[in-house]
Amino acid sequence: MAGGARFSRPLTGISVDISMQTIPLTLAQPGMVLAKEVTRPEKPDGPALFGKGTELSESAIDRLKQLGVATITVEGHPVVMEDDESLDQQLAGLDQRFRHVERDPYMMKIKALIRKQIVRSMEG
Amino acid sequence: MEDKRDEIRQLIEDTKSLPTLPTVITKLNALVARKNSTNQEIARVISSDQILSAKVLRLVNSPFYGFSRRVSTVSNALILLGVNVIKSLILSTSIFEMMEKNLVGLWEHSMATAVASNVIATRMNLPDKEEVSTAGLLHDIGKIVIRIYLNNDVDRIAALAEEKGIPNYEAERLILGTDHSEVGKWLSESWLLPEKLIEPIACHHDVAKSVNHRHHTAIVHFANILVEARGMGHGGAAGVPSIQDAAKEALKLSNDDLEAIIANLEDKLVEVRNFSMDIQDT
Repeated sequence: MAGGARFSRPLTGISVDISMQTIPLTLAQPGMVLAKEVTRPEKPDGPALFGKGTELSESAIDRLKQLGVATITVEGHPVVMEDDESLDQQLAGLDQRFRHVERDPYMMKIKALIRKQIVRSMEG
Repeated sequence: MEDKRDEIRQLIEDTKSLPTLPTVITKLNALVARKNSTNQEIARVISSDQILSAKVLRLVNSPFYGFSRRVSTVSNALILLGVNVIKSLILSTSIFEMMEKNLVGLWEHSMATAVASNVIATRMNLPDKEEVSTAGLLHDIGKIVIRIYLNNDVDRIAALAEEKGIPNYEAERLILGTDHSEVGKWLSESWLLPEKLIEPIACHHDVAKSVNHRHHTAIVHFANILVEARGMGHGGAAGVPSIQDAAKEALKLSNDDLEAIIANLEDKLVEVRNFSMDIQDT
């Protein structure tokens, strides 16, 4: 299943502009730039610890670890997971999984909300 | 086929053939039955097995409970989560450990369902969301038993589900005369888990059957479908099923609730993938 991660993204003809990615903190590297501010995990609506646009240093990453931050959102799409799929592949998979409930309006509402999240995670 | 069902039930009731459970569990059940036992006594029993304590603490600190600070001792874990949740975690580490490598997908699905249950319970402001998460973690525990004891039937079940385009549990009923939710019910009863955890395990594919814990059951049912919908399931040919009416009526989620739950879940699933990578590395 989900295995290690590799840097540098292969050019696979993805038709969308990929401008941010949410990654686990364990895969953060110095030089990555925050695309969203980071707040304390226990106070998600509190003041920002690191603002949007901050370039991460070793010490900033250590500090985030100490604070118990689990995921961050960075600019670009620097991390390629082994099971990464392009946006088109992900949306095709979604259609495939929902094909038997197309007449259920409640399920279609759920599908639309999930679709929005998938597109957001790929496009920012 | 009825024979097969009885055979499976017998297998589970005969404690000698149960997956080897840590002796701690027997001691723990005895302590809890005494009623006047203290958290300290219970913590001492669990801490006597150091490897087990480390594994339990690892799960306590996993994304599905979402504590912002690290829980570093068994007695703190007991205070935060209660003895029933800790007991369930001991059982799930023991059971999941017996899974083979090719079942990692089921482990990931179970963790994701625990996280989704927690997200829904949090949105609904339920007081006992840790128990709901634990029910989510355990909901498919019967599948593991079927894997372990009836490995020969597993391929037949999958093939039948594929061929007829029916959900896995329906194929299980056709071949075994029972399904993983009933097997999970027997198993959790034999472990003396509280009804609050048993009902969601037993009724996650048939919410209308739940009697006393409709909310918990509906949450696990919905969480299971959301995780399947996000591609972390095993629905195979049947795909994502509809949410059952009994679950919709119990949960009464508004459009805003649905939107918030699905957005929140998306972030948490990144953590789950990361956590399951961790588990496999050790």
